[in-house]
Amino acid sequence: MNLRVKILSGFLILAVMLGTAGGISIIEFNKISRSVHALLDENYKSITAAKDMTEALEREDSGILLLMSGDWKSGRSTMEKADKDFINALNIAKTNITISGEQAATEAIDQAYNRFKALWERPIVDTSRQGNMGWYFSQAHPAFLEAKTSVKELMTLNDKTMYLTASELKNRAGRAIMPGIVAIISSLIFAIIFNFFINLYVIHPIKRLTDGIRSYMKSGKMVQFHVDSRDEISRLTEAIQELIYFVKKDEKTR
Amino acid sequence: MRPQIILRYLGFVFFFNAFFLLTSTIISASNGDSAIYPLAFSAIVCTLFGLFLFVFVPPTQDITNKEGLFIVVCSWLLSCLIGTLPYILWGGPFSFTNAWFESVSGFTTTGASILSNIQSIAPGLLFWRAATHWMGGVGIIIFVLAVLPSMGAASMILYRSEVSPLVQESFNYRTRKTLKIILYVYIGLTVMETVLLMFQGMSLFDATTHAFATIATGGFSTKNTSVAYFSSTGIEITLMIFMVLSGVHFGLLYLTITGSPRHLLESSVFRYYVTAMLIGICLVAVSLHHHNYDTWPQAFRYSAFQVISIGTSTGFASADSSAWPALAQLIIIFFTLQCACSASTSGGIKVDRMVLFWKVFLRRLVRLRHPRAIEVIKVDQIRIDDEVVETALTYIILYLSVLMLSAIILTMFGTDIMTAVSAVAAAMGNVGPGFGSVGSMSNYSHLPAAAKWVLTGDMLVGRLEIFALFLFVTVHRWK
Repeated sequence: MNLRVKILSGFLILAVMLGTAGGISIIEFNKISRSVHALLDENYKSITAAKDMTEALEREDSGILLLMSGDWKSGRSTMEKADKDFINALNIAKTNITISGEQAATEAIDQAYNRFKALWERPIVDTSRQGNMGWYFSQAHPAFLEAKTSVKELMTLNDKTMYLTASELKNRAGRAIMPGIVAIISSLIFAIIFNFFINLYVIHPIKRLTDGIRSYMKSGKMVQFHVDSRDEISRLTEAIQELIYFVKKDEKTR
Repeated sequence: MRPQIILRYLGFVFFFNAFFLLTSTIISASNGDSAIYPLAFSAIVCTLFGLFLFVFVPPTQDITNKEGLFIVVCSWLLSCLIGTLPYILWGGPFSFTNAWFESVSGFTTTGASILSNIQSIAPGLLFWRAATHWMGGVGIIIFVLAVLPSMGAASMILYRSEVSPLVQESFNYRTRKTLKIILYVYIGLTVMETVLLMFQGMSLFDATTHAFATIATGGFSTKNTSVAYFSSTGIEITLMIFMVLSGVHFGLLYLTITGSPRHLLESSVFRYYVTAMLIGICLVAVSLHHHNYDTWPQAFRYSAFQVISIGTSTGFASADSSAWPALAQLIIIFFTLQCACSASTSGGIKVDRMVLFWKVFLRRLVRLRHPRAIEVIKVDQIRIDDEVVETALTYIILYLSVLMLSAIILTMFGTDIMTAVSAVAAAMGNVGPGFGSVGSMSNYSHLPAAAKWVLTGDMLVGRLEIFALFLFVTVHRWK
């Protein structure tokens, strides 16, 4: 193999190594970007919805107490606003089913909330339930807790997935950086070996050749050059040897 | 010494590793797992380096002993380094120290792991982990030389540096044919075991990886609870048969397969190997009966598997031997030190040296009774030179000295005595599991990083049979 191909192959190998490392890093960074998007879009959206639902439920619980105390106006307006907020948040959760188990969790919330709503939709003021703490603790409060627990389950499910995605992100970040580090270290080792080979197969033969020519010029004796490789250097050596041979021959004929 | 020659031969090692990395990449791609890019990138880096060394350095066959030794030791170190690449690129539990530990443990066929949840690792990476066993088992150099017929005389110099000096002396193993015999036996046993394990109900992936680990006497499993996961007597029996076979001298196995079982049956080394194992199984079973298992068949089942697994330096586990009585543990420690025959994939002091040790002991007794008696040591009617005997005994003493020194160093890092001694013995014998906190159902992840480096050093010392590594370190004193 000739010297030009050898040197070119050295640079090509280096380029392929760095290019591959760069390519893999880009792919991994792209995956990280997608994971971050998923983290925000899928999990964080559901977690926010769950938080809104919890807050709405707590306001409804307070609304029930207002109605029980006979304050129909404040109680009713609190309940209507909280109900509207809850339905909105639940709809966000329902349209953002992205992980396994999320569908079942939202259905459970829906059912638990309907049971809770059925209790306070009927009139409370001026009925036997007004001021009836026994009814509140035996029916209204357990239904509220059941709805709140089902919302919490949705939040836990998304929290867990978010944690797993974050751990995976950490691994992905490592996978994106490591090829670069490996490529840099490999390139350094490669450069050292390449330098050694250039010295061994190019610089040293040229030095030997130069020394040989100088020795011929001083003594006028034929010099034998020995080169291991079969490349441009060996052809140059052969050409110089031929040149010396012809010069010698020419001197003799004169 | 000519560095370029060493580099050219290391180019083959790069190619050899690249082939298995590429296979692992294909497996990873077919599974769609997360190890595809780490494996593919490692394969590309290896191929490029191999290609570069191959292109630049012209082929040479006249290599010196010194260069041969350098090629062998550097091949092991380089392979271990290449082995870390996919691990550190994949990340997870693999810091550089952990990746180095797992890689050295794989290539030296030790089978000690830092993984606490093996089943969470990508299948492609698990295949690579098993492949490191398989490559290390046959000895990287032997494999490369047997595959590359162009090397001629150079191959035998490398072979002498690779194979235990005892094997070279006690068996007529100096021809190129030997390399091919080892390779045929190795591949043949792997294929046979894979097929049999699949018949027992294992998937192709599990069967292949377990066959790689068995024939290489490695012990890496793809399951957290090793072989105990399968809870199958059939699988355990299959593994036991192949573990015993992998511990036998491959040349004798080849002769047996090709119709001359006489050599195997008449070999005193083989007879000692089998007898010692049978006695070990019986003693362990007796100590287990009533203590750990109520019935004799159960006691024999677990005793046989564990004794064979440790006695062949494989290291698979079907039960937690750390919970076994002291007698059973001591017998297993004896097998951790002794291991199986030379010219197999096993590690440890080796049965051949134990046979020589007993013969020397008997000669000493005769000489005490008859001081003028001339007693020649013979193994299977072959006269063993005093130099070989001396080398074997020196090896045993050196082995135990390194073991003690390493155990002392490990205790300096706060490791308890049982864990330290058994971990070092398991690392040097290339066995894998020890006792204490590194038992058959535990792992090495909790050990400090420095202790892991000491243990990887022990694994290499054990695999390269001490002398090669000492010669390598003291190469500047060679004349």
